[in-house]
Amino acid sequence: MKYMILTYGSQQDYAEMSGWSQEDFAQMVEFMQAFSNELVASGELVDTRGLAAPVHTRRVRLEGGVAVVTDGPYAETQEVLAGYWIVECESYDRATEIAARLAKCPNPGGVFDATAYADVRPLVEGADEL
Amino acid sequence: MADPVDEDLLRRLAPQVLGALVRRFGHFDTAEDAVQEALLAAATQWPSVGVPDRPLAWLITVASRRLTDLLRSEQSRRQREDTVAAWVLPEQGTAPAADDSLVLLFLCAHPSLAPASQIALTLRAVGGLSTAEIARAFLVPEPTIARRISRAKKTIRESGVPFRLPGGVEQPERLAAVLHVIYLIFTEGYASTSGPTLHRPELAREAIRLARMAHTLLPDDSEVAGLVALLLLTDARRVARTAPDGSLVPMAEQDRARWDREQIAEGVALITAALPRGATGPYQLQAAIAAVHDEAASDTDTDWPQIVALYDLLLRISPNPVVALNHAVAVGMARGPAAGLELVASLADDERLARDHRLYAVRAHLLEMAGDLDAARADYETAAERAMSLPQRRYLVARAARLGR
Repeated sequence: MKYMILTYGSQQDYAEMSGWSQEDFAQMVEFMQAFSNELVASGELVDTRGLAAPVHTRRVRLEGGVAVVTDGPYAETQEVLAGYWIVECESYDRATEIAARLAKCPNPGGVFDATAYADVRPLVEGADEL
Repeated sequence: MADPVDEDLLRRLAPQVLGALVRRFGHFDTAEDAVQEALLAAATQWPSVGVPDRPLAWLITVASRRLTDLLRSEQSRRQREDTVAAWVLPEQGTAPAADDSLVLLFLCAHPSLAPASQIALTLRAVGGLSTAEIARAFLVPEPTIARRISRAKKTIRESGVPFRLPGGVEQPERLAAVLHVIYLIFTEGYASTSGPTLHRPELAREAIRLARMAHTLLPDDSEVAGLVALLLLTDARRVARTAPDGSLVPMAEQDRARWDREQIAEGVALITAALPRGATGPYQLQAAIAAVHDEAASDTDTDWPQIVALYDLLLRISPNPVVALNHAVAVGMARGPAAGLELVASLADDERLARDHRLYAVRAHLLEMAGDLDAARADYETAAERAMSLPQRRYLVARAARLGR
């Protein structure tokens, strides 16, 4: 069974992160790499990606058969998808356990504050599962 | 003492950085600003910390960060003003992959832009020159160039031109515009239309660099090769064209030992290879004419009948009054001043030449050859009144004075 673990951030969060010290940033990267490497080792990782800052978003609206592109549709503080992991594991609970480990990710304030979160969602394998 | 940054390296990388950014993030206009700031950062930081191992990657990283910052403030401003930036995606097919520098050359010579804007934008976005440098080269205030560039970028943004080469039937026409922009940069450098000095070699050099770049990118296009040859063969005479006092020396009186033989050899080789290939266009013909001049050991050795023949061809494919005027000079030299004057007479009513000093200068020269010194003097004087650059004016006044009263 496949699940997607999603993390979120606002443009403001991205901007804050680019202000981190090199050591702080390196620690975070190291944690994330170890996290993903463990999933590779256990054979559970399908794919993982981080997304560029929300400011680089283009929204393509499909208005009456015409594609209209909007630049930067998000407000500065709006939380949007920042990265994801797709894992293939034995159960929803196992996927949740994996996501929970992200709580230990270091950042300059120590670990994430109370507002930080990750979502876990089951993937559908075909139209008949919808 | 820190080493100065190799400016050629930065200028060569500039269009590649911009291309990489626009491909990845879009926003040609903002990305262009970001690249300028990255270039500035490199110019100030590299001398003390050294050139990074991968300078292109360094510039792309710095420019990307800067682009993010610029977009961020742009977007929050828009949100405050409650406006959205939206555009309708043009329905266009895909175009063949192409080098970013070439795509940029085409973009900057976009037909929706006035020539002055095409030039300024090309020098900045492809040439990697700063607004201040462009302003200095054109002797106009920096804010003027800054406005010109930002308007040009706005026009491009609003026209929704995709970042790719124009395809199909459009391409030859758009390439002609690219070559014309490079040619205008060169002529502005070589025969400055205004200001105290006769030429601004940095513009001529930049034009040659851009033309070479276009030739590297489109090696099979014989008009591009023709343009490179024309610029090299013309620029080869640059040093001999100015006397120590800054005045203009006509070709007939130039010290040919001061012509740049290496540049002439390169230009001749280019045009010799280009002429038999494909359609012969105006740049190749002008290069061929320049080559005949450059290869003559002296003015009297010049193969004027050959030059007349080349001008005949040039007039047929690209008839314009300045070419017609040069044709008249060549005819005057090949067949005597009377034949030349006859051709000039037929041009006297052309409105495009009416306010130009060149018609009078050419007629004066032919009249002088014919021995009609009074009429020649009058024409030199009229030409002097109409000439825009000071050295040209001084030269024409001196010619008039030489003929006495």
